[in-house]
Amino acid sequence: MVLHGMAIFLFTRGFLLTRTELPHFSTCSDISDSPCISPSSYSSNLNQTHLHQLQCWTRPVVDRLVIIVLDALRFDFVAPSACFEEKKPWMDKLQVLQKLASTQGSSARIFKAISDPPTTSLQRLKGLTTGGLPTFIDVGNSFGAPAIVEDNLIYQLVQNGKRVVMMGDDTWLQLFPHHFEKSYPFPSFNVKDLHTVDNGCIDHLLPSLYQEDWDVLIAHFLGVDHAGHIFGVDSTPMIEKLEQYNGVLENIIEVLESQSGPGGLHENTFLLVMGDHGQTINGDHGGGTAEEVETSIFAMSLKTTPSSLPLELNTSCCELHLDKENMCINSIQQLDFAVTVSAMLGIPFPFGSIGRVNSELYALGSGTWNLESINVGNRQTQLNMQSWMHDYVNVLCINSWQVKRYIDVYSASSIIGFSSEDIMRITDIYAQAEESWSHTIKNLLLDKNESCNTMLPIKRQIDAYSDFLASVAELARSKWTEFDLKMMGVGLGIMLITLVIQFLGIKRMNKTCGVNFPSPGDSWTSFGLIFSIFIVMIRACSFLSNSYILEEGKVASFLLATTGILKFRNSILKKKMLLEAVVFLLLVFIFRLTIELGLSKQAFSSGFTSIPLWMYIAEIVPMLALVLLACFLYKSIDDTACVGLLKFVIAVTILSYLLIAVHWTMESNLVGTPLMLQGTGKGLIPRIIYAIGIGQLLILALGRLFGKEKALDSKKGLILKVVAMLSAWSSTVIIVSGKQGPLVALASIVGGWCIMRLENLEHESRDGSVGVLNLSPLPVTQWSLLAVSLFFCTGHWCAFDGLRYGAAFIGFDDFILIRQAILLTIDTFGFSLLLPIFGLPFLVAHQYPSVQSNQRKPFIFARLSQAYMIYGLITATTVTFTIICVTIQRRHLMVWGLFAPKFVFDVVGLILSDFIIVLASLYYVG
Amino acid sequence: MKAVEIDFKTSTQAINLKKKKKHQNHVRNDAPSPVSASHAIGSHLVCALGLALSFWATHSFFSTNLISDPVHTLLLTWVFETPIVVLVYSRFRKNPKECSYWRAVGRGLLGIPLGALINIFGAIALGAPVGIQYLLGTINWSLLMSLLTFVPAACVFGSSWTDWQRVFAHTKPIGAIDYMICLPAHGAIIGAWLGAWPMPLDWERPWQEWPVCVSYGAMAGYLVAMVASLGFTLVRVARLPLKQD
Repeated sequence: MVLHGMAIFLFTRGFLLTRTELPHFSTCSDISDSPCISPSSYSSNLNQTHLHQLQCWTRPVVDRLVIIVLDALRFDFVAPSACFEEKKPWMDKLQVLQKLASTQGSSARIFKAISDPPTTSLQRLKGLTTGGLPTFIDVGNSFGAPAIVEDNLIYQLVQNGKRVVMMGDDTWLQLFPHHFEKSYPFPSFNVKDLHTVDNGCIDHLLPSLYQEDWDVLIAHFLGVDHAGHIFGVDSTPMIEKLEQYNGVLENIIEVLESQSGPGGLHENTFLLVMGDHGQTINGDHGGGTAEEVETSIFAMSLKTTPSSLPLELNTSCCELHLDKENMCINSIQQLDFAVTVSAMLGIPFPFGSIGRVNSELYALGSGTWNLESINVGNRQTQLNMQSWMHDYVNVLCINSWQVKRYIDVYSASSIIGFSSEDIMRITDIYAQAEESWSHTIKNLLLDKNESCNTMLPIKRQIDAYSDFLASVAELARSKWTEFDLKMMGVGLGIMLITLVIQFLGIKRMNKTCGVNFPSPGDSWTSFGLIFSIFIVMIRACSFLSNSYILEEGKVASFLLATTGILKFRNSILKKKMLLEAVVFLLLVFIFRLTIELGLSKQAFSSGFTSIPLWMYIAEIVPMLALVLLACFLYKSIDDTACVGLLKFVIAVTILSYLLIAVHWTMESNLVGTPLMLQGTGKGLIPRIIYAIGIGQLLILALGRLFGKEKALDSKKGLILKVVAMLSAWSSTVIIVSGKQGPLVALASIVGGWCIMRLENLEHESRDGSVGVLNLSPLPVTQWSLLAVSLFFCTGHWCAFDGLRYGAAFIGFDDFILIRQAILLTIDTFGFSLLLPIFGLPFLVAHQYPSVQSNQRKPFIFARLSQAYMIYGLITATTVTFTIICVTIQRRHLMVWGLFAPKFVFDVVGLILSDFIIVLASLYYVG
Repeated sequence: MKAVEIDFKTSTQAINLKKKKKHQNHVRNDAPSPVSASHAIGSHLVCALGLALSFWATHSFFSTNLISDPVHTLLLTWVFETPIVVLVYSRFRKNPKECSYWRAVGRGLLGIPLGALINIFGAIALGAPVGIQYLLGTINWSLLMSLLTFVPAACVFGSSWTDWQRVFAHTKPIGAIDYMICLPAHGAIIGAWLGAWPMPLDWERPWQEWPVCVSYGAMAGYLVAMVASLGFTLVRVARLPLKQD
């Protein structure tokens, strides 16, 4: 187990790219710490008219910003088809952008934007707004909702009095729940729905353009993404979507242009049409291939200006055949987006941003500014450009200072920081840049009026800063997006070794058993062994494909049903226990239905809650199930008249069931409870139940430690102990998992009982005289499959949005990380790990070994530990395969979407189950 | 309904009789089974050809195939295949003296819906999609499956539980006819089981739809198992003279 822990730790270090989120925020006043010229003093020399405006880190160059995000916008949707070798049907559909970009020269441009993997919308939006590289797991305190707690663009906008309006994809609202002035979110989860989000956007977008009550408008269209997911890129719906967007964009631009005259609403508005990521021809995204990473940004300033860009700074990759159209396509890192927009709007850069203010985009935005300075000062283009350069270098200076600050703070505070050599190198580069800056600034101040000489040092300065920023970005990228293969290999190796050790352990256990008791060579046992190995291997191999991971619940229930059918066949063979077999099959049937329902939960619940009858049923059925459970427990203490302590524990559980029932009736609307009672009872009852559960566990543990029970009959004693343990856990698990809890508990009891009975059948049918030795691994396999099915049944799936955060807040309103995390863990793994593992002794205890009573005790315990080891082996095998698959597929498209969550869930599950197995064997065996 | 009752009654009688006869059967276990190798070959060929023919017929005359319109294809296939299977296997009915040819045909026909029910149940337990739009496909598929697995046994054994048990639970076929029933049935089921595996893959091919690849798997398994059963029968026939020596 320790080995497991180590292996997993190593592998995780290599595989999961973690980054600590810092709670720091940039504020306006921070700028005084930087060595750069503070904008107010600097710009006052240049331009008096803007002094009255709120000035922060940089001078705002645009007043209003319209961001239109087209999800999964491939680069070749926007770029003219001439850029590519052959023209595909989906190209040249957004002609309005191309036309503008080619005719209006510098005021509208198309950029190729390079995003960083993982190219999923959520991560991309995060990256766009924070200017960082979102990794798979951002270790931070964003527990409970994916909301961004890091410093980000939107936060800065709000802090600095900008009003932000959002429409479209509701992912934005998840990320920024409270930031928007107004928002029109539309659900994004239904991939089959091509039009709801888009139509909603269109409905709200055009009217909003006429209004004055916003500064930044974000519209997020999802149609292209959805069309890609369903139909692929090369399809009619996709082309229709693009054509529709073309029309929409035409309208938008028309409206904007109509109001862009002096004094108009959009006098100084900047329009950005951008994609958050690309997609492959099949419409997938998430990985790091060129198709997915390349998206585009169309930028347009509504003030047409004749000012040309400083061509020396262009990192453009104009192709020759494009020149005749007078359009170049430059590439931009999406990393740079946040900081560039911040610079344009004149707000502090997000604290965690490591981007560079992009020269072209910034120049495009500041085109308006240049124009003004021309009007005011009536200077020459040369001078004009120079002033722009001054500004830009200043912005870059601030930018570098901010990035440096972030790197320093980050490596100081995070556990897994950068290595010291990297830091040293970065610091060196920064120091150089800094030094030359102080020179430059001196020159600048001296030669303010003799401007001809300042061009060169400024350019050098820009280069220096760019160097610094580029090296930081490179470092960050290597740190946050590249796998550490060595670590992964070592982890994997250790994992395999543990597997072998476990296997050998089981072998040895078998042998020791074999010495004590003569073993009958039974063909069925070996068949069972082979079959269970077969099943486990199939399950493990199915993790190689993303589709099987997606459908893991179904695969598990498929295999479970297969074993069920085998058992059924067997029971026909033995002409016994037909009922159990049929019940088991029925149960599997129910499982798979609920798994399917769980997968489509949202659609399901919305469809049924409207029917009142269903409501009643939904209220009453859990209660009935609770009562049934209580009856079971009552029976179990009724017919075994023994140890008082355990009996007491079980009785208390019945009491807590009653409390649960009371709690639910109070929550439901069917019974009108007085408000007073509701207020106090709401938090109280769950807390009482948790307390009872903890108390029960304590009693059990203490009883185990001190009370040497007079082992009257070890088998019965064991069963009773198991029941007590289960009951102690069950109340907590049930209340945490909500109304489905008792139903699932009931189902798992029935399932467990069936497996047990069917297993008994094996043993009874065998010649009963010889003790059964080798625990057939088949029931244990079944048991673990059942556990997996239960996991999916309870509406979980291996994704972080599959966590039921609501469960963490049952009984508590406020948020305390550890407490809520424990509750969430109980909810997630309660039915799939806690109860099955603690219930595993049932399998052993209910077999009827006809050994002499003096031999019985060690026998049972040997069997028990064997069962636990097999269970552990099964879990470890699946996890190992998951790890292998993750390693193989680490450059797979869906690695961040599917494999990584699966990996995390499995690993957490393995560690937990190892832990619980140790606990349980200590409790039962030790 | 009445026919069913009578059938059941007679079959219970038949069981009683058979229990006696079984002993005799066991006694003369090595005696050549009522089905000769050539019969077995012939019937297998007919069944396989029937399957292929019905497939081809739907393809060419009704211009549907399994992928574009699984429901119709399956329907046509099982409609074509039913008379072939029922008629062929009814010839090998147990105790032909008490049970007329047409009664065997009758119970074979009766076996179709029963077997279909069992197949549906099994399929749904294993994860077949439930829903109105899949219902027809499921029904037709299960009818075909029933034809491949259940009906031959129904024709041959009637309601003799011991025989059923022997063939399907113990998997200990004795005699060519048992092989002929047991192996193809298991082949079809295992084929269907294997055929279900490509379904969740995200290749988005039309044949990944529910019943299509499962039907393919079932038919492939059936045909393979037929060959196997033929092989077994032939081996058996070859061995029998040796044993008798």
